[in-house]
Formats: sequence, C-alpha cells, structure tokens
Amino acid sequence: MINRKLAKVLAFRYTLLAVILILLAGGLVLLPKYEKHEGINSEELLSNAISPERYISTDELADKIVSQDPSFLLIDIRDEKAFKNNSLPGAINIPLKKLLDEDSTTYLDQDEFDVILFSNTNFQADQAWILCSRLGYKNHRVLKGGLNEWFNTIINPPKPTENMPASAFELYSFRKAASMYFGVAYPEAIKKQPVVKKVIPKKVIPVKKKKKKMPEGGC
Amino acid sequence: MGPLIPNGLISFEWNSIIAIIIGIFFGFILEASGFSSSRKLAGVFYGYDFAVLKVFFTAALVSLIGLLYMDYLGYVDIGQLYVHPTYLWGAIIGGAIMGVGFVAGGFCPGTSLSAVAIGKIDAIFNVIGIMIGIFIFSELYTLFEPLYNGNFQGNITLVDSLGVNRYWFVFILTVGAIIMFALSDMIRKRVKKIFY
Repeated sequence: MINRKLAKVLAFRYTLLAVILILLAGGLVLLPKYEKHEGINSEELLSNAISPERYISTDELADKIVSQDPSFLLIDIRDEKAFKNNSLPGAINIPLKKLLDEDSTTYLDQDEFDVILFSNTNFQADQAWILCSRLGYKNHRVLKGGLNEWFNTIINPPKPTENMPASAFELYSFRKAASMYFGVAYPEAIKKQPVVKKVIPKKVIPVKKKKKKMPEGGC
Repeated sequence: MGPLIPNGLISFEWNSIIAIIIGIFFGFILEASGFSSSRKLAGVFYGYDFAVLKVFFTAALVSLIGLLYMDYLGYVDIGQLYVHPTYLWGAIIGGAIMGVGFVAGGFCPGTSLSAVAIGKIDAIFNVIGIMIGIFIFSELYTLFEPLYNGNFQGNITLVDSLGVNRYWFVFILTVGAIIMFALSDMIRKRVKKIFY
C-alpha cells in the first residue's frame, strides 16, 4: 500500500522538481531589494583613515616636485577662484563639489599615479580623501596641513635658532633651497660675491739637466 | 564571507587539493549517470535522449540560483567570483568545432576522460584525437592567433551585456529551461526508441 502511494507521488517527481525550481527562481525576483554597499567596508575605511601613511608632509612633497618625480598627481580641492589665484606647480583643480563628476574620476580612480589631495588646510582634502577611499580608489594621500603648512614650511621656512640640533639646520637649508626652486628670492642669495682676483702662480719650468751618459761599450 | 580561498578562509595551498576532490566526484557522477556512453551523449543530437541537456542546464540553474541567494544573504560576494573572459570569434568558431566533434565522436572532453577511465576504446581514440588537435593548434598558433584573441569583450556576463535585472533574467531563464525540458520530452516520445 505504502509503495503504491509513494509511486503515485513519484510519478509527478519531475513536475514537482520543476515547480520547486521555478518557485526558487521566482523568489529571487520577489526578494526585497536593498542598496548594496559599494566600495570598501567601514572597518577597512577606518583602518585606512587612522593610518599615518595617508598623509604626505610638505617636505616630502617638495622633494618630489624638485626631483621631478613623475609618479604622482597633485589635485587641488579648493574652488576655481582660489586655484587661479595660487596653487602648487602642476596641480589639477578638482573642486570638492565636482569630485564625483565623470571627468574627475579619470584622474582619481586609476592605478598608475599616486594622488595627492590638498586644500588650504587638510580639512577639505580629508573630506575628499574619505569620499574617494570609500569608493575604493587607490593610492590617495593628503598633503598634511595643506597650502597653509606649505607656505609656513617651504615658502617661508622659520629660521632655526642657535640652540637647535643640526638636523633643524639641515631641514632649514633644504626648505630654503626648495623655496628658491619655487621662486622665492633671498636677499642674502642675491648679494654679490666679492670678486677675488686670482693670483696666477708663476709657472716654474724646470730645466732638465742632461744626465751624463755613461759610455756604453766601445765601437 | 566567501569565496573561501580569495578571502583567506582556506589557505591558497588547498586550491589544487579541493580541485582534485571535486574533479573526482564530478568524474564519478558523470560515469554513474551514464555519460561515459557516447550513444547517450549523441542522443541529444538525434533526439532520443536529452539527459545531457537536462543535466547540464539544471546544474547551471541550480548553481546560479544558489549563488544569487548566497550573495543576497551575504555568504558569497558574487563580484569576487571568476568570470571567464569572452573572445567572441574564438567562442563561436571553437564552439562550432567542438559541436561537430561532439556529434562525430559522441564525447565532450570531460566525459571522454571518464569513459577512458572505464576502458572504452572509442573514448581512448577520442582523447588521442583531442591531443592531436591541441598539438596542431599549438604548432599553428601564430596563424590562429588573430582568431583566438579576436573581438575581446572582457570578463562580461550576459546580465552585464544585456543590461537587465539579473533576478528577472534568472527567473526567465528558469522558466525557459523548464519549457525546453518539456518540449525535449515530447520530442523524445515521438522519436523511435533506441536501446543502448
């Protein structure tokens, strides 16, 4: 009896399986939709945000620009007016409100160059950095302190006092040299060097004495 | 969470071991369901046995639906899965050649190997033929290269290239497949029965 019942059910087994398959596929369509989280997850974003590596110091950047390192893009986050007024050499202007435009993503979302974001302080640049990192863009860094820090350290470096260590003097001379590269003129550099007359030493031409040759053999 | 190996839940070294285990089971099930018989495989083309069509289509659908559910529940990130790159000309012409070989020899590459494992002589010749084909292709690679690398489409899927909602696509595919199964059953009933 049981076998007969079972056989009756099993006669429809393929229909049954087909119905299950259609129900499962239909369930996919009926699933409530939710926006998928795009880009990196929040834990990863946090670990990137607290990493000190996301900042580049003004000295490092100056060194890069002076040595004509081709591996980075400078992105100015300030608005157009400020960008036209003054900016870093070779910088590209992407105002914060245009950050997610299609034209901007070609600069921001790529693997070839390091992207260095900067604004007047690092506040706006940090906002841009968060937005970009959240979208999973790679190799983004922020200029620490922004253009204000750039002005205070590179363009107008504070002179070290005498009780400072030698490294401070080295840093100062580096910054001074860098600022000269960026067009700052120092009065002491312009000072004329006193012309020192070269004393031409008299050439002494020694007269070679002929050595007396020993008589060699006889002929 | 998944896929397991790219996310480091299983170390990379297990890759080949898992592949071998899955391969053994795949071969075993091919043989157990009678796919090592060239008559059964060729039946799709002559209309007396549609088992191959049904089995592989069902397998694809089950894994597709299962993966979409797992992706929805967050167990597998479907974006991290490997998508085979599409070379359009290579796929069309290679597919046609493979189809001709399938009808003529009665084996696809996988089933021919499982038939070799149970000692079928025709399968052995089939595999030798495959090897000769590979040899000819690699010797004449420079000649075939524009065809082989031609019309590269990237790692695209049907959902991407058609631009449709993937859930609806899977649902329509499932319904279509089941209609196809029913039709193939009707064809099978009309074709003269062959015992093999």
